[in-house]
Amino acid sequence: MPLSFPYVGTFTYVFESIARGMRRDDVIVPHEPTAKTKQRGSSASSEFVCTPFKMLLGSIIEVIERGAYEIVATVFVDYCRLGYYSPLYKIILEDMGYEFDLINLDWFDKVDFFRSFKKLACNVNAIQAFQAFRVGWIKNRYIDLIDKLLYSYGAVEITKGTSYKTAHKLYRQVVETDGMKNIRQLPFIINKTFEDEVEIDEELKPLKVGIVGELYAVVEPAINLDIMRRLNDLGVVSYTPITFTRWIDLGQRMNPFKKWHYKACIRSAKPYVRYPLGGKTRESLGSVVEFKKEGWDGVIHLYPFTCMPEIISRSILPQVSKEHNMPVLSLVLDEHTGEAGIQTRLEAFIDLLERKRTDGGEK
Amino acid sequence: MKSSNNMVKIGIPRALLFYKFSALWITFFEELGAEIVISPITTKKIKDDAVKNAPDEDCYSTKLYFGHVLALKDKVDYLFVPRFGGRKKKYVGCPKFIGLAEVLKSMIPDLPPILMPHYNRGMDKNTRIGLVMRAYRLGRVVTINPFKRIKAIWRAFKALRIHNRELIIDEETLSRWEKSEIVLNDFPIYTLNQRVLKVALVGHSYVLNDPYSSLNIRSLMQEYGVDIITSEQMPRKFIENQMAKLEYDIYFDFEREILGTIMHFLETKTIDGIIHLMIFSCGPDSIAGEIASRFSKRDTVIPLLQLVFDELTGEAGMRTRIEAFVDMLRRSIEERVVLLPAKVHI
Repeated sequence: MPLSFPYVGTFTYVFESIARGMRRDDVIVPHEPTAKTKQRGSSASSEFVCTPFKMLLGSIIEVIERGAYEIVATVFVDYCRLGYYSPLYKIILEDMGYEFDLINLDWFDKVDFFRSFKKLACNVNAIQAFQAFRVGWIKNRYIDLIDKLLYSYGAVEITKGTSYKTAHKLYRQVVETDGMKNIRQLPFIINKTFEDEVEIDEELKPLKVGIVGELYAVVEPAINLDIMRRLNDLGVVSYTPITFTRWIDLGQRMNPFKKWHYKACIRSAKPYVRYPLGGKTRESLGSVVEFKKEGWDGVIHLYPFTCMPEIISRSILPQVSKEHNMPVLSLVLDEHTGEAGIQTRLEAFIDLLERKRTDGGEK
Repeated sequence: MKSSNNMVKIGIPRALLFYKFSALWITFFEELGAEIVISPITTKKIKDDAVKNAPDEDCYSTKLYFGHVLALKDKVDYLFVPRFGGRKKKYVGCPKFIGLAEVLKSMIPDLPPILMPHYNRGMDKNTRIGLVMRAYRLGRVVTINPFKRIKAIWRAFKALRIHNRELIIDEETLSRWEKSEIVLNDFPIYTLNQRVLKVALVGHSYVLNDPYSSLNIRSLMQEYGVDIITSEQMPRKFIENQMAKLEYDIYFDFEREILGTIMHFLETKTIDGIIHLMIFSCGPDSIAGEIASRFSKRDTVIPLLQLVFDELTGEAGMRTRIEAFVDMLRRSIEERVVLLPAKVHI
C-alpha cells in the first residue's frame, strides 16, 4: 500500500529518509503546498479552524489523489487543537469519499508509537525499524544544520540564490546517504560545501533576526511566505530555534548535558507566564529575553490565525519587548496572507532595526 | 488597602468561567467575610469597551471578559481571575483560561492586584488536596483565621455540589421530558393547536447564560413556544456514553458536554431540533462544531442549526434564522411524531 505524509517544511526530507530506511519503495513524496493546496484544504474544513489544519488537509488530499493509501499522522493531548487533526481528517476524508488509512503516531505513548511504527515498517524487523528511526533523527540534525547555514549564508552571499541552490543539493544528498559511517561524515561535507560554493561578502555586518512562534507557521515556507528567505534578501541573517529536534531526537534527549535553548527560554518567561498553556507561548516570550542576551537585533513572532496559545503570547509580547528593549514584530498568517503586506512590514521592521543599531553606536 | 467598612472588596467579572463556578467562588469569599462585587450583566457599553481594549484575535467571549474587568477596575481592592487548566485527569480547558490573568496584567497597566490561583488537574497533575491547599492560601487575602478559611472551603464545595445537583437533571426527568410529559422551563407561550416543540440548546455556559452575547435566545425560544434543554442540564452518564463511542478522546472538557449532547439527541431522535451556539474564533468550538455538523449530515433526521456569534452579529438576522428554523420544525412535526420512541412502544 503506497505510504505518504503531509508536507511539513524541510521535515519532509526526514520523513523521506525514515521511509527509505524502512525499505518502503512505494513512498509518495508530497509536493510543496501551493495556492491550490490552501484552497482545497480550506474549502473542506470548517470556517475558523487554524490554518495549519487547512493546509495539512490540502496536502493530504493531494497525496491521496496521487495514489497514497497509508497516511502518517500524529495525535496527542495538549491544550491545542493539534490532537484533533487526525480524527477530524478521518471524518472529513471519509465524507469526501476517499479510500485511505490514517496511521496515528502517538508520541506521548512510546510503546504505542513504536507499535504503529512497526506497522508502517512491514518490510523489515523491529530492530531495523528502530534503526531507520534513529537514522531519521540523526539526519534531522543535519537538515537543521543546512537550514541554519542556508539562512546565514543567504544574507551575505554575493550572487543571490547560490546558497539556496547549494542547500537544495545538500538536502537531497542527506536523504540519499546510506550507512552510518557515511552519515557521520555529513556535517563536514555540509560545512565544506557551503564554504566552497557560496561566495560571501566578508565586509558586511548583517543584522540578525530570530524567528519564533507556532511550530508549523515557522517551519513551513508556504504559510509564512518564505519569510526567512525574504529576510535574507533584505540582507538579514535569520535563524529559528524551533525545529522538530526536541521531539524526535531521542539521542539528544537522553543526553543529560545537552543545553536546550527552549528550556532556557521557558525559565526566562517565568515572570510573564508561569504555567504551561500549550503551544510555544512560554518559549516565544522567553526567547525575546534569550535572544537579547545573545546579542540579536530583533525577533519576529509568527502564528497562524485563531491559534489559541499564541494569541496569549502575542498579547504579552509588547510588555516583554518594552522591558528588555528588544524590537518584536508579530505577524498573523492565514491562507489569505498577501506577499506585499508581509514584505512592506518586514522592510519597515528592518529599517527600524538598522536605525536602532546606528543610533546605539553613536551613544 | 481596606474600604471604609473594613471589608476587603473582591471583584469577580461576570464572564467565561463565572457561569460555571459562580456558586463556588461567591460562597467561598462570602464565608471568608469579603465583600464581593460582581460586574453587571453584559451591556452595550461593556461590549464596546471590551472590543476597544481586548486583543483583536481573541474570541468574542474573551473580549467580553476585558469589558467586565474594566467595569470593575476602580471599584475593588482585588480582582479574582483564576488560572484554570482542567478539573479532570487528561481533560483540559481552553489555554486562555490559564493565560487570561497574565494577559490582563500585561495589557491593562493600572489594574488592582489580581488574585490568580492556578489549578490544573488535566496536564499539571495537581491533586484535589492541592486545590484545597491553594484555596486555603488564597483565603489569607481576606482573613488570617484558619478555621474560617477551612469552613469557607467546605461550604464553597458544598454549594457547588448543590448547584450542580439542581442544574443537572436526572435520567428519569429527561426521559419524561422526551415523552413530552413535562416541561423544563417556565411554560412556553403557545397558541392553540400547536404542540410545544422540544429543542436542545447547546453551547458553552458563558454563551447560554449571557443574554447579551446569545442575543436573548432563551426568551426568544419561549416566545416561539419552544421548550429547551441546555447542554449543561444533560445527565453526565449519557454524555460519557456518547463519548465512549468515539474512537478518540475529546480532551477539551467543556466540549465533551456539547458534543455529547448533540450526539445523544442525534442518536435517540427524541427531540425536534438542536441549536448549537458557537462563538467566533473559539478554538474548541471549531473542532466540536465540525464533528457535530458532519455527524448530523450523516444522520439527517434531527435538524441541527449552528449559529456563530461575534461582536458584529445583528439581532434581526439571528431572529430571522431562528424563526425560519422553528417554522421548519413545526412543518415537519407530523412526521417527527411517528419517530418518537414513546409512540412506538404503545
